[in-house]
Amino acid sequence: MTTINLTVNGVHHEVELETDRVKLVDVLRDRLELTGSKVGCGVGKCGSCTVLLNGEAVTSCNLLARKADGADIVTIEGVANGFDLHPVQQAFIDTGAVQCGFCTPGLVVRTLALLDSNPSPSDEEIFGALEKHLCRCTGYEAIIEAVKLAQQRLSA
Amino acid sequence: MSLRYVGKSEKRVDAVEKVTGAAEYVADIKLPRMLHMKVLRAGVPHANIVSIDTSAAEACPGVHKVVTGQGCDILFGTCLWDQPPLAEGKVRHAGEAVAAVLAETVLQAEAAVKKIVVEYEELPYVLDPLESVADGAPVIHQRNGDYDRVDYVVHPIKGTNVFHHYKLRKGDLDRGFAESDVVVEGQFEFPLSSHAALEPHGAICRFGAGGDIEMWASNQAPFVLRDVLCGMFNVPATKVRVRIPFLGGGFGGKSDVSIEPMVAYAASKVPGYAVKLVLTRKEVFTSSLLGRGMKGRMKLGAKRDGTFVALESAMHFSDGAYGDTGWPVDTVAGHNCTGPYEFPHVKSDTYGVYTNSPPVGAYRGYGHPEGQFMVGRLVDILARKLGVDPAELMRKNFLSEGKHNALGQKIKPSHGNLLACLGEVKNAVGGRELPAEDERYLYGRGIAAMMKSPKMAANASSTAYVQANSDGTFFVNLAGIEMGQGCQTVFTQMAAEALQAPMDKVKMYADVDTQFSPWEWQTVASMQTYRGGRAIAQACERAVEVIKANAALVLECSADEIEYDGEGCFCADNPDRRLAVGALARGYMYPNGLTVGVPVQATGSYRVAGIIEPDPETGMGNAAGSWTFGVQGADVRIEKATGKVEVLHFASAFDPGGVINPQTCRGQIVGGVVQGMGAALMEKLQFNDKGVVKGANFGPYRIPTVSDMPKEWTVKFIETPNEEGPWSAKPIGEHPIVAVAPTLLNAIQDATGVDFYTLPVTADVILEHLKEG
Repeated sequence: MTTINLTVNGVHHEVELETDRVKLVDVLRDRLELTGSKVGCGVGKCGSCTVLLNGEAVTSCNLLARKADGADIVTIEGVANGFDLHPVQQAFIDTGAVQCGFCTPGLVVRTLALLDSNPSPSDEEIFGALEKHLCRCTGYEAIIEAVKLAQQRLSA
Repeated sequence: MSLRYVGKSEKRVDAVEKVTGAAEYVADIKLPRMLHMKVLRAGVPHANIVSIDTSAAEACPGVHKVVTGQGCDILFGTCLWDQPPLAEGKVRHAGEAVAAVLAETVLQAEAAVKKIVVEYEELPYVLDPLESVADGAPVIHQRNGDYDRVDYVVHPIKGTNVFHHYKLRKGDLDRGFAESDVVVEGQFEFPLSSHAALEPHGAICRFGAGGDIEMWASNQAPFVLRDVLCGMFNVPATKVRVRIPFLGGGFGGKSDVSIEPMVAYAASKVPGYAVKLVLTRKEVFTSSLLGRGMKGRMKLGAKRDGTFVALESAMHFSDGAYGDTGWPVDTVAGHNCTGPYEFPHVKSDTYGVYTNSPPVGAYRGYGHPEGQFMVGRLVDILARKLGVDPAELMRKNFLSEGKHNALGQKIKPSHGNLLACLGEVKNAVGGRELPAEDERYLYGRGIAAMMKSPKMAANASSTAYVQANSDGTFFVNLAGIEMGQGCQTVFTQMAAEALQAPMDKVKMYADVDTQFSPWEWQTVASMQTYRGGRAIAQACERAVEVIKANAALVLECSADEIEYDGEGCFCADNPDRRLAVGALARGYMYPNGLTVGVPVQATGSYRVAGIIEPDPETGMGNAAGSWTFGVQGADVRIEKATGKVEVLHFASAFDPGGVINPQTCRGQIVGGVVQGMGAALMEKLQFNDKGVVKGANFGPYRIPTVSDMPKEWTVKFIETPNEEGPWSAKPIGEHPIVAVAPTLLNAIQDATGVDFYTLPVTADVILEHLKEG
């Protein structure tokens, strides 16, 4: 049985994998009970399971857990500081970018990664990042506004 | 008095949980002694089951039970009892459940499913609804016509695959066409598609040692689900408890009972254990519920001056393997296929047809997009034939004061203002010149109008409960399902308004639990704000009466003289002596403990009055309780080299009466339009040559992404005051999707000169026509 080491939201975990085929998202959700990362498709097409892996946004539903051995991971649960929401989270609320909420954790993490690596993205760069996500509720208008509002607040 | 909370873009009350990942959806729930379920799917679209061997699967590690439908003998339903929880004797679509494994882990269950051996005797299958009604078509249900049903509303044709025929007869169609100067007609297709809510369907069920049934489900209709479970297991309502956690989008795909009976049946075999099933995305496509699936023809007759005279429509719905979820959609498609227009003479036949696809149920718009796709296109075609502006033709024939819809109901001004909606859309997309064709692009403009009325049970009601707390706060309980549309937020706004209390002093119960929640029909038909709001308003008004009555006992005046301002009460002639709401919440207690009055609690309810089911002969009657009207228009450009449609500007104007929350209301419009663009331009469920759904995941099944969004939006609300809605608010959630396809196809015609009748109109389809052109 394979054992992997992960640091998730600053906490170290040693996890035994049931098989080599276990995906990272299942470790996060089932073993570590971090259920904020959602499984919408299981094939990396909807983005709902997006987490930061060594600072990069990745879809955790199609990533084998053993490939993440030794990684430093941030999930949606690690984005707020206690009761203080991150400006990206607050921007999603303020612009009405949240409806059913199932795609929201992935989008928040993606936005975080985008603005971390590129504090003033162009429209094209914003669309490029959001293109990796599906949302069936909002029609995306408010999500784009949320990214822009977060960018303004973070750079202010 | 000016409004303090209603009409304001208050922040969503459920947003913090959702942006932090704390919101708990059904897939996130873990119970003690919980088994995981995986399902063997038929893989063949139509076959007799000869044998099932589960012995190897039962021997796999971690497996507690393998359940099949053999000997099950249960059919579930709400108005037509035609579906077993697991296939029994035969399979009727390739995604149908044949056996279920219950194991300690998901991977163990998956491994064991592969060990189940099933022998089939394959039968001819049929996917097309017209082929399914043709002579010699394979019979999908031998018992069609003999199943238990509510016979006033479900009309099967025995010996065929038609499990429901809804007919509407208004006026005299032959006379109507004889009096018509111009006739236009077309054959249309609205393919099967997936709601594609981001959360896959899930359910957890546990049978207690005493036979009590608990269920957690991603479902918009907990009380309907409870009743279905009661019927399946022949137990009273007191033995079944259904809870709905956060719901990750529904769009109707979770309003019908789908996977829950199967999970419950499996759980009944392992009492004391919880059984959990969460569908994979592939299974959502192959084995939950689909939407649409209409093949229709429509013929419209008009006078030379453009006055509509006659409308004939025939629609065949490929409703899949089971019919309980399809028949009401078919009925609604039939009587709303006129769109927002008056026709003196209407003949409409709608057939719900069994086919070997996954079953079809509610999908945002509920029959309206299918029927109004046809009329929306024909109005445009007729306008060209008559050489008039389509907007003029629409204006001339709109349902308005004193006119009658297809059901024979008379329209009042308070039902909505289509002319104002048309004016807004004309201003928005007509206010600018459309660019002329250039080297790279063709440009086009289209417009279409819509109406939608809710389909509901005649006794559909909302009930609400309000309780005051000793700190002056209030609890409000109403079992509307928050699935993203924002009902918890607008309920809070309406309760705060009615109680005159700040939003943060009003708490909606977030949990829906059939054991503790007041009865709610179901969260469908865009009615939660409208119907639930009336129930909440009434409960709040009654709670205020109780507060005032308590105050009157202490202040020694009559309750009529008591003034209430949300914070407390005082007697009109002595405003200095105030009693806080909190001090009155449990009756009023004097310093020595003597208490007068009663605890402050109240209930309210609302039912749209006077609804009856359509007459079985004419199809007419007071079946629609309300209407919301709207108009949509779009400018598009089409890339000549690729056929790709880009929406430059999409304008919508609706008259939902009163807008409770402009931000969430706009969110419904923008989201609905983009979902409608998916149907118009890209979405179609495909089957391979063996009758199995192919490309069953995101990727092959493409839904709109951020790049497909219109470049510019106009969203306008006309707020016609009315007596019906709370603060005039009427249904709006489904409406933005209804006219998107005809609007875009009319624009595509304007750009290309080609009339399309079949959805979706993909880039490839357009390119093919451009090459031919």
